[in-house]
Amino acid sequence: MNHRTLNSENPVLKIAGLEKSFPGVRALEAVDLELAAGEVLALVGENGAGKSTLIKILSGVLQPDGGTIHWQGQPVELTSARDAFDAGIATIHQELAYFAKLSVAENLLLGEPWPRLWWGGIDWSRLNSIAGERLRKFGARLDPGALFDSLSPAEKQEVALVRALCRDARLLILDEPTASLTEREVKRLFEQIQRLRARGVAILYISHRLTEVLELADRVAVLRDGSLVSTYPRLEADIDRLVRDMVGRDLVGTFPHERSATGAVVLEIDGLTRANDFHDVSLTMRAGEVTGLAGLVGSGRSELARALYGLYRVDRGTMRLRGKEWAPQNPHAALKAGLVYLPEERKRQALVSNHSVGSTVSIGFSDLISRVGVVPWRAERGRLLRSLERYDIRATGIEQAVGTLSGGNQQKAVLARWLERDPTVLLLDEPTRGVDVGAKAEIHKLIDELAAAGRAVLLISSDLPEILGMSDRVLVMHEGTIVSELTGAQKSEENVILAASGLSRFEEEA
Amino acid sequence: MRGLSKPLKYRLLFLFVGNGLLLLLISVFLREGASFTQVLSQAGPDCAPIILAGLGMTGIILTGGIDLSIGSVIAVAGTVFGCLVYWEVPPLLCYLACGLTAWGLSTLNGALVRKLRLPAIIVTLAGLAFYRGVALMIADVAVPDFGGNLSVQDDAYHGPGKFHANSILLATLVMALVWEAFAETPRRWLALGNSPEACRLQGLAPGRILQSAFTVGGILLAVGALIEVTQVQTIEPARMTRGFELRVVGAVVLGGTNIFGGEGSFAGTVLGAFFLYFAQQLLIYAQVSPYLQEVLIGGAILLVIGADCTLNRRAKMLAELR
Repeated sequence: MNHRTLNSENPVLKIAGLEKSFPGVRALEAVDLELAAGEVLALVGENGAGKSTLIKILSGVLQPDGGTIHWQGQPVELTSARDAFDAGIATIHQELAYFAKLSVAENLLLGEPWPRLWWGGIDWSRLNSIAGERLRKFGARLDPGALFDSLSPAEKQEVALVRALCRDARLLILDEPTASLTEREVKRLFEQIQRLRARGVAILYISHRLTEVLELADRVAVLRDGSLVSTYPRLEADIDRLVRDMVGRDLVGTFPHERSATGAVVLEIDGLTRANDFHDVSLTMRAGEVTGLAGLVGSGRSELARALYGLYRVDRGTMRLRGKEWAPQNPHAALKAGLVYLPEERKRQALVSNHSVGSTVSIGFSDLISRVGVVPWRAERGRLLRSLERYDIRATGIEQAVGTLSGGNQQKAVLARWLERDPTVLLLDEPTRGVDVGAKAEIHKLIDELAAAGRAVLLISSDLPEILGMSDRVLVMHEGTIVSELTGAQKSEENVILAASGLSRFEEEA
Repeated sequence: MRGLSKPLKYRLLFLFVGNGLLLLLISVFLREGASFTQVLSQAGPDCAPIILAGLGMTGIILTGGIDLSIGSVIAVAGTVFGCLVYWEVPPLLCYLACGLTAWGLSTLNGALVRKLRLPAIIVTLAGLAFYRGVALMIADVAVPDFGGNLSVQDDAYHGPGKFHANSILLATLVMALVWEAFAETPRRWLALGNSPEACRLQGLAPGRILQSAFTVGGILLAVGALIEVTQVQTIEPARMTRGFELRVVGAVVLGGTNIFGGEGSFAGTVLGAFFLYFAQQLLIYAQVSPYLQEVLIGGAILLVIGADCTLNRRAKMLAELR
């Protein structure tokens, strides 16, 4: 393979001091990056490191707060997707931005002038043959007349690639292009990329899969917490180094517990499978134990939790709750059986932001205290006030709109809602996402108390120190299945990242 | 027809066969004195307003929008027409004013949806009440001693609806179907209905595409309004074409157009409108009680769409198993 070195005299893209903040989050901080023609630069980093923000800025979807972008030697402002596209920057987003019910040819050519018949009508056969030529030019064997919807994920990706390239893109940004591809399809994609590189197209390649990155890239840049922490030429990069840079921080030793022996088995699942989401997942949850579930976004963690909670149907596999065969038909059944689920996206899935704190929490227990369908308000109020105090929810009163609370207090309100039910199994999906440090510690303490009181907890988190610090054992999911169980000394950030990227140190050594 | 998905093709076939069956049943129930050719020749004029307005509505629904105010828009167009007739304006000018009013209001609806950045269903739901009121106010101002209806007795004013409905319908239909098959605009409507986000990312202007659906839809609505208005002897601004929008949406959805946009066809709407019409005729000829008729028509819509979706789902599941 011919790996070019960076021609730093003449980069096609030069970013300097790029900054971007969202309310409460610094997404990018003084990022400098250069990319030469014919170079493949891989960008790696954990979830939330700022990769997507950077891509969105380069493709004109977001505008930076500060910093400069030089494109082919000229400073540019990319104010829209169109701007970037016209300038020759083509982005293939993770979720393909395409039209399912139009044909392949239409998807390729929409936005360009279409060939016409003598009387002005569209010349469909010319349109299809133009599209066919372009597809062939890039080695894609597809029927231009086929509905986009009918293509396989890899074929869709091919159409995206051809579309991006046929307009003479000088920079191609690929965001997790291999996420839904099979190994053979990945190989084909790589061949395409090599061909493009040879034609002088600069490529920014974003991926979680470190082996891929090392196979493909000329240089690898590591993004962590919005900053560019290191850049290596391919020959100097190795997985250990990248992982260390991605993780970066020291393990914070503030997690509470050494938990005493755990209790009886509460929930057992065996061979649980749901097409496209997860397959053959088996795990056991015990009373008094916190089971961590790690993995990349899209590895099937949340889907698994939702299936346990009766939100998603499963295709195969069995569940046993306290020794009895069990299959939740809906969340209501799960709640009645003592399971609760804290969803990943608090604002969208767990809260009605203009409802009061009181009604947010009381959903959890109003059915338990109601008499013939009527909730006695005095009892409800008393319980709410106790709950606010018990879980330290800082609000002006139970009437305050929950949307006006801080993230941490919102999350505590959602937790309080479910804890008022005295559940036996807690499914917590990213319980501390978007929560400040103080509230995070309180939530950790709460989880610890729950485990101590004999609850079984499933903790899903992308925050590695948290999942390692809080869990008695960590299960790692990769592409819909549990690939690794880490206990004791095996619990390390490196091992989690390796397993989550589909590698395992043990396999590598073997 | 370009790029029709399999379910959509099946729906068209389903409706085509269904229409045939309905006609067959009608011929069985025909009484003495009624002729089958008469049933057929009456179908065009009776269905024309629904079909034409339906084609316009199809375009709007393809983009992910909807226009619930078309019944009231026709009422305004009809009122303008009725008032001009009252003032003895020549027929051609009356027709022109009627058509322009319907087209203008539909275009205005598009502009409002675009400028206010509100869902089309909200804007046009407001239009439903608003335009009905406008129709009454126009009649009240333009006609002294307006008593609730405007009389149009002179046959000179009934050309399009009574004498040329079939040929107008046929000509418009042919043009619309050819246009749908060979113009880029309807493909953009589909694209917008498929993914507004993708439109934006690919540099297509979603607002302009949406506006074009209302503007082109307005032309078809105008022709439909003209036929509807010139069929009657009495125009009642408060009551004419009430519930019209729901019958139109029924035909569009029955024709296989996805109510949330992104998929559908003109041909489906035409077949859907005829299906509803023939079903109604069958019930009349079979002397089913008028009360029961409404129930059965509602049931038929549910049955056709339900059966079609179930069959499709099963076919899809079987395909996945293989």
